[in-house]
Amino acid sequence: MPMKQNIQRTILAVAVTAATLAGVQPASSAEALKIGISAGLTGYAATVDRAWRDGVQVAADALNAQGGVMGRKIEVVVEDNRSEPQEAVTVYRKMMSSDNVDVFISGCVSAGNFAAASMVAKAEKPMMLCSILPQQAAQVKWAFTTLPPAGFEVEKRFEYLRDKTDIRKVGVLHDPTPYALLQKTVAQDVAAKYGLQVVGVESYKQDDADLSVQISKIQAAGAGAIIKIGLGGTTLTAAKNLKQLNSNMLMLTSLEDLAVFKPVAEVLGDKFFFVASPSQVYDALPDSATKAEIGKFLGPWRAKYGDRDPNWASRGWDGVMLTVAAIVNGKSAEGPAIRDNIEKITGFQGTTGVYNFTAANHQGITQNPFVLATIAGNQVKIVQ
Amino acid sequence: MDSALIGQSLVSGLGIGCVYGLIGIGFCVIYNASGIVNFAQGAFVMLGGMITHVLLVRGQLPYIAAIVLSVLVVALLGVVIERLVVRPLWKRNAPMFVMILATLAAQIVIERLTFLAVDDQPKTLPVFTDLPPIMVGGVAVNIQSLWIVAGSLAIVGLLALFFKGTRTGKAMRACAINREAAALQGIPVHGMLALAFGLSAGLGAIAGIMLTPTQYTAFNVGVPFAISGFIAAIIGGFGRPFGAFLGGLTLGVVQSVAILAFGAGLKTVVALSVLLLFLFVRPSGILGAAK
Repeated sequence: MPMKQNIQRTILAVAVTAATLAGVQPASSAEALKIGISAGLTGYAATVDRAWRDGVQVAADALNAQGGVMGRKIEVVVEDNRSEPQEAVTVYRKMMSSDNVDVFISGCVSAGNFAAASMVAKAEKPMMLCSILPQQAAQVKWAFTTLPPAGFEVEKRFEYLRDKTDIRKVGVLHDPTPYALLQKTVAQDVAAKYGLQVVGVESYKQDDADLSVQISKIQAAGAGAIIKIGLGGTTLTAAKNLKQLNSNMLMLTSLEDLAVFKPVAEVLGDKFFFVASPSQVYDALPDSATKAEIGKFLGPWRAKYGDRDPNWASRGWDGVMLTVAAIVNGKSAEGPAIRDNIEKITGFQGTTGVYNFTAANHQGITQNPFVLATIAGNQVKIVQ
Repeated sequence: MDSALIGQSLVSGLGIGCVYGLIGIGFCVIYNASGIVNFAQGAFVMLGGMITHVLLVRGQLPYIAAIVLSVLVVALLGVVIERLVVRPLWKRNAPMFVMILATLAAQIVIERLTFLAVDDQPKTLPVFTDLPPIMVGGVAVNIQSLWIVAGSLAIVGLLALFFKGTRTGKAMRACAINREAAALQGIPVHGMLALAFGLSAGLGAIAGIMLTPTQYTAFNVGVPFAISGFIAAIIGGFGRPFGAFLGGLTLGVVQSVAILAFGAGLKTVVALSVLLLFLFVRPSGILGAAK
């Protein structure tokens, strides 16, 4: 008899579990709007892509607290591409075939987004990216980016050198990522416009332990400043190497997490400058529509993450808000409809600037939103 | 080409080469005691810098206390890995590739745990002596590199004395040559293995502590260092601590010259091609493999 009771209990438990699963989970999954993120949660892009992911999640939480989008809750699916293109292809495929995501709001690993772009385009899923856009027209059709044009970061640094220093020869030190290569090319192309000459271009790998040979070559070529392009701890290595070489060159770096810059500033002091986004210098900004929009994001962001760097997270927030605007405007969460309606977004105030998309322009930020900043006394200060 | 630039590149190559050499020595110590190639060596290097940073910044310990404590903690971790990961396999006479896989797994676990325990931001340490570099004919020789060179030479010398001049060192070498025969001679082979892992981990930590002031440490820096150290050990003659040191210097200098001549993009290709050609001529490395 006890055995019979046990069997009955087991059958009952299985039935209740099955009913729960059948009755609740699939229904909520079907209703949720699924955002897929391919992000380099490990590897060289970990710092920025983890921030991007968290910004997307904060935006989703904020929207869900207001009832979601068109009555549907937003669900964020995140996969780690380990900052590797091969892994990115695998995780994109997994999110399309297993998770059935509706749209991608993916991180800053350009090569990974490029590698998967063709596959994603065939599936007619829009991609709102942190990285630069893919190169082929058929892929660009389905890809949009919150990233300002690569030239903006370079031009902001060149403006400072032209306006505030006597330095007229610079060297470029860059990693091999597509975004860095793009910036390098821009630097070579526009230097003359700012009265500058690029006298040395050197590359490095993100896991290089020493950059002093590259820096020595740039110095020997007569450069007075290094335009450093790339993410991760190599900025700190470059700073240490400059000091070890007793070099007087300035170092002006591209966008990066403020947590990376603080030890760099301790090493180089007033010889160190960096490109900053508006959200990184929020407190120093004058009142404006951009500052007001950043304030909307910083509220929930700081409540959850304190004084963690907001730059990439704020663009992740923008990515969600732009996508939701397209869904609401088009009254549809189907891939083609989202894509068509993102192209129609103009004058959209985001945390990084005003987005103006068109069919011919999938890079929404068209006016340079960056500032050049430095760190003095542990405080971020705008210098240009 | 500017002679100062060539000189600066050579100095840079020697500086980073010392680090590769020190890491390579860690591979040799374990190999000498057990015949095992320990791919968790990079994790010990990373932990040396990371734990020192944590003790210095969060623990507010004096620098020297943080360094000593860090080396001891990492050495203890080496013993723990030997006890939990390596010894069970060693007792069962597991093949070499299984051992390598197990130590690689240990490396990944340590990386992940460090990531969870600290964070993913790069960290650095202050230089040991905060003085400007010494200028020699337009070539800057930084003081931390001198610390690395001096520290490396001291370690190489002490290890040579240990392996050749002490009963424990000789016992460790005996275990590597023939485990069963060593046991028959009354040598506690398991104890020797644990000692080798502790020693090797401690050496890795010292390498990490000496190099972090010249760059940075983060949870994921271990693997590239392990690969460079492994190459250094092979070039020098696997199992030869001084050979690994020479191998590290060779690798560092060849890489620097390759950057100078061909650019950083071809650094690894050129350096490994040159070293491969060298190994064709002398397969057992600079000093010949340990017997």
